[in-house]
Amino acid sequence: MRVRAVVNVIVGMAAILSILLLKADEAARAHTLIVTAKYVKAAPTGLDDPIWKKALAVQMLVKGREPAVGANGTVTTWALYTDNHLFFLFKWKDSTHSITKQSWKFDGQKWHHLEGNEDRIALLFEITRINKFATRGCAITCHSPADVPKDDWKFATKTDDEKGDLWHWKAARSAPYGYADDAWLTVAGNPTGSYRETGRRKDVGNGGDIKNQTKNGSRPLYMQDPTITPSAPGFLLMEEAVKIKDYSIFKDGHIIPYRLPLKPSGSRYDVGATSRYADGGWMVMFSRQLNTGHEDDVVFNPKKRYSFALAVFDDSGSEHSKATEPMTLIFSR
Amino acid sequence: MNKRYGNQVNTFSEILGLADIIARMKLVRVPDDALTWHRFSGSLLLVLLVLLFLSGAFMAFYYSPVPGTAYDSVDYAMFSLPFGDVIKGVHYYSWNFLLMVMGLHLARAFIVGAYKSPRQLVWVSGVPIMLLIPALIITGDLLPWDQNGFWTTQVRISIIASVPVVGDFIVRLIQGGPLTGIAALTRFYVLHILFLPALLIFLLVIHFHFLKQRGLSGSWKENHPNRLSISFFPQLVNRWLLLFLAVTLALGLISWYWPAPLGDPADPTDSTFVPQPEWWVLFLNQLVTLFRGSLTVIGSVIIPGGLVALLIALPFLDTSPDRHPARRKKVILITLIIGIILAGLSIMGYVKHFSETHS
Repeated sequence: MRVRAVVNVIVGMAAILSILLLKADEAARAHTLIVTAKYVKAAPTGLDDPIWKKALAVQMLVKGREPAVGANGTVTTWALYTDNHLFFLFKWKDSTHSITKQSWKFDGQKWHHLEGNEDRIALLFEITRINKFATRGCAITCHSPADVPKDDWKFATKTDDEKGDLWHWKAARSAPYGYADDAWLTVAGNPTGSYRETGRRKDVGNGGDIKNQTKNGSRPLYMQDPTITPSAPGFLLMEEAVKIKDYSIFKDGHIIPYRLPLKPSGSRYDVGATSRYADGGWMVMFSRQLNTGHEDDVVFNPKKRYSFALAVFDDSGSEHSKATEPMTLIFSR
Repeated sequence: MNKRYGNQVNTFSEILGLADIIARMKLVRVPDDALTWHRFSGSLLLVLLVLLFLSGAFMAFYYSPVPGTAYDSVDYAMFSLPFGDVIKGVHYYSWNFLLMVMGLHLARAFIVGAYKSPRQLVWVSGVPIMLLIPALIITGDLLPWDQNGFWTTQVRISIIASVPVVGDFIVRLIQGGPLTGIAALTRFYVLHILFLPALLIFLLVIHFHFLKQRGLSGSWKENHPNRLSISFFPQLVNRWLLLFLAVTLALGLISWYWPAPLGDPADPTDSTFVPQPEWWVLFLNQLVTLFRGSLTVIGSVIIPGGLVALLIALPFLDTSPDRHPARRKKVILITLIIGIILAGLSIMGYVKHFSETHS
């Protein structure tokens, strides 16, 4: 019997060791800041759904980059997932509610662009592994290639094999349709449009926006179709716009949006977004299928961990504002 | 023509020509308590080793021992193949469990005095096996080419390098160059899947040879001339297969719900990464930390080497015929003190590496 008692004691010690082992393993994962997506049966219905309380809030430090060095802040992040979808909720302070992008203003004589840009938030995941993304984050894709002068740096990966998945919510251009523009990242090249020479590529489908300007760029080309009630008040959607036939109807002080969102579809429309600006800050919720079935999207397997990085842009154009260090997304039951 | 059965072969074993072997195995008798609920650690170790071999063989089909692709190949095997994560998990949990059970096996053998005459060589032949398992783990840790494995290997290599006279030579030998790159990964891989397992099998054969020759230890109270026995086949084999199935199922379920970790891909330029030692090496890590500079060799070689020497020499140091712990107070007390020191060092290491860094 004594032998059995001794064996029992030793088994107990082994159990304690097991706990230590599991604890140690948890700690070993904590090299980067971890966002844990909590499993829920029902999808969150919106920004204020109490189900978000089930998720652990993570304060992600975002550091200002040129020309906003020192302008640090935090983005509070929650994540949930269901059997089919992944959800993020982001909340961050932004003193300026920037939802226009260089709108046209008529001064009675001429049209000119207003100051001001849009607020944005962007996430970058790996579709295929991007070398050192897990340890360097966006820096590895934003400061590329490293051997060329800084002014020539492009947002791109270094090789064809490395592909990123970019979710880009834009207050002026994607928010009116309730989505985050879904793009992917590869080596720098020469595609058309605003993506020229960077590594950004549009996912398959429609979306984005067009510039509302005449050929000579001196005045807007489109206006709200007067026969249609705007579905997104304050914005001019391309599908609800008509060409301006008579410019004399405009009076001094009239404002017309410069960037007209296009109706999204296909893989470009994979990431749904709900947003609200209140109390000097943004709340944005993303939703996406774990597996969209599209080659230009990251596939989320709840058993895996995913490196990602995030950037927020305050009234910002092409320049960066604030970005996180590399983050890790894990899924928990 | 089959002399025994003529031309008639009826049973499956007869068709396979195994009938004679099976008949001989049925004649082999082993003690009834060879595998029971209170004596299972040896059989469990064998179960875990078999699981490690099987799961490792599966992973080897998909593994690419090149720094640029090693991580992705492991990632693919784990997450793109059906039950790949379970198999990786079984491998991961098996070696963790193996270390614990090995400790249990050692402790039990020590407490019941199983190292005493006539089983000294059973004990002695087990010690190299115990030393070989960490070598398998160390070589295996680098293979996924993830951050923790890579940087943990760097720490281990620096400890090996601190060994006087032969340290640098050993490092060059296992690493194949000044840095941990493709040559190191290839060598670790070959060691992990070929040389070390072959050596392990060889050592196990020796261990089993002495076990068969000297027999299992019985009760420490007195000899039992009428000790009950069972046949090796099918009784003991069936018990072992039952244990194998139970452990496989248990580890499979654990792996399903708590998949084995795969960290971030290794970034050899990321000097900010601080590897965290595994639980079983915490005391060694702490020893190395306690003895710094020119004294490093004490923590990295002299003390661990001394402990191994003590283990090997134990049957020849404690030669009294008494097996009951109450009559072996001196050796029990010394071992208890050593055990407490090692546990204390492990706790110190745990606090240092896990509690403090996350407080």
